Amino acid sequence: MNELAIQTDRLVKTYCELRAVDELSINVPRGSVYGFLGRNGAGKTSTMRMLLGLARPTAGGATVLGFPIGRDTLAILHRTAYVTEGKILYGRLTARELVRFTKGFYPNWSDEAVAKYARRFDIPMDRPFAKLSLGNRTKVCLLLALAQQAELLILDEPTSGLDPVAVDEFQRVVAEDLAGDGRTVLISSHQLADVERIADWVGLIDYGRLLLEARLDDIKSQYRLITAAGTGLPQSKGGDILSANSDGNFRKYLLRANADAFAAELGNQGATITEVSPLGLREIFLELVRKEEPCTSGNAGEIPVTSFSSLE
Amino acid sequence: MLLHLNPASGVPIYLQIENQVKHYVAAGALKPGDALPSVRKVAADMRINPNTVARAYQNLERDGVLRSVPGGGTYVAENPGGLLKSEKIRRLRPYARQIAVEGTQLRLEPHEIVNLVEQELQSLEVMDERVGNPNR
Repeated sequence: MNELAIQTDRLVKTYCELRAVDELSINVPRGSVYGFLGRNGAGKTSTMRMLLGLARPTAGGATVLGFPIGRDTLAILHRTAYVTEGKILYGRLTARELVRFTKGFYPNWSDEAVAKYARRFDIPMDRPFAKLSLGNRTKVCLLLALAQQAELLILDEPTSGLDPVAVDEFQRVVAEDLAGDGRTVLISSHQLADVERIADWVGLIDYGRLLLEARLDDIKSQYRLITAAGTGLPQSKGGDILSANSDGNFRKYLLRANADAFAAELGNQGATITEVSPLGLREIFLELVRKEEPCTSGNAGEIPVTSFSSLE
Repeated sequence: MLLHLNPASGVPIYLQIENQVKHYVAAGALKPGDALPSVRKVAADMRINPNTVARAYQNLERDGVLRSVPGGGTYVAENPGGLLKSEKIRRLRPYARQIAVEGTQLRLEPHEIVNLVEQELQSLEVMDERVGNPNR
């Protein structure tokens, strides 16, 4: 059996001039919780829709649970639960009616799961979907996805609108019932702190291209921010150096590997190393996305905070 | 088992678990033969990925802190002191170096740095007495 639940091969999706997904190759291991990260419009939703056969790739291909997309769509949909970005269902139906409507499509549907998650997420089962708050709509979408008992869950912003208690409950469900049972979960999110907790793999995309794909723990053990003071320090990035910025007399380097060796080398050149510090996912995300911006002045790379407000 | 995890820090979560379990064992809060909660339970309680917990347990087993019984759970190892002394010193040396470097940078006197380490050792002993470790 294939070790990968999802594998894309130079997947491309263009909308008129826009390359929403640009030769994207990702590998989602079976049994992993894969955090699919990127800014608004980075191409996450387009990729997910292509994986499910809901959008046709412009070029490239992919397999989902071993089935090629675009050919075995029904086989993929049977085995995959999907929570859409829009969280839109039939507005007049209540959650209870939506359950009755949906269950017939899925061979492994579990009514016990419906009862369990309706209770755990505190879902109003008898109100029309259109009259629910965004958070409660998200919960209903999650309920319908979880009750399918699918091998693979593709969740597009599954925590949008949820209150902290519901987010906590969602994380418990992912840890215990999904990852704990060896199911594969692909989650797109802007909530980096949530992903950081629950994901073991992350893929970071920007402008439809993959910037980074790795085990989260490995990223954290290897990525380092080095602050050094001195004259004649190297200014360029390249190789393991992902970014190099000046800040007064200090220079900051983001390294993706071999940080200690680089720091030692700087030290040999007469620099004073003030800090070699590990980074959280949020810092790495910002550093990597900022890399794509043109560096022109001494403090190039300073980012306007407002453009990342969705990450807060 | 009470774990305090900070997923947003740069320290990998599996390392945070390892360090805390080692601390509990060193302090006697976890005693040889004590059962640890299952990977699944820790993952569910802490809302973290089970693979992360499994990785921490495997590393702790490799280091001789824990042992697992096939199909029967994970326990604190009976004799965590089974390593060669030279190996123990090799593992501890990076931490000693870090303390020496940080302490010197903060312009502490050598004896003040040594005092700090001694205080930490004492606080472990105090914790040990409080939980009533019969092995010491």
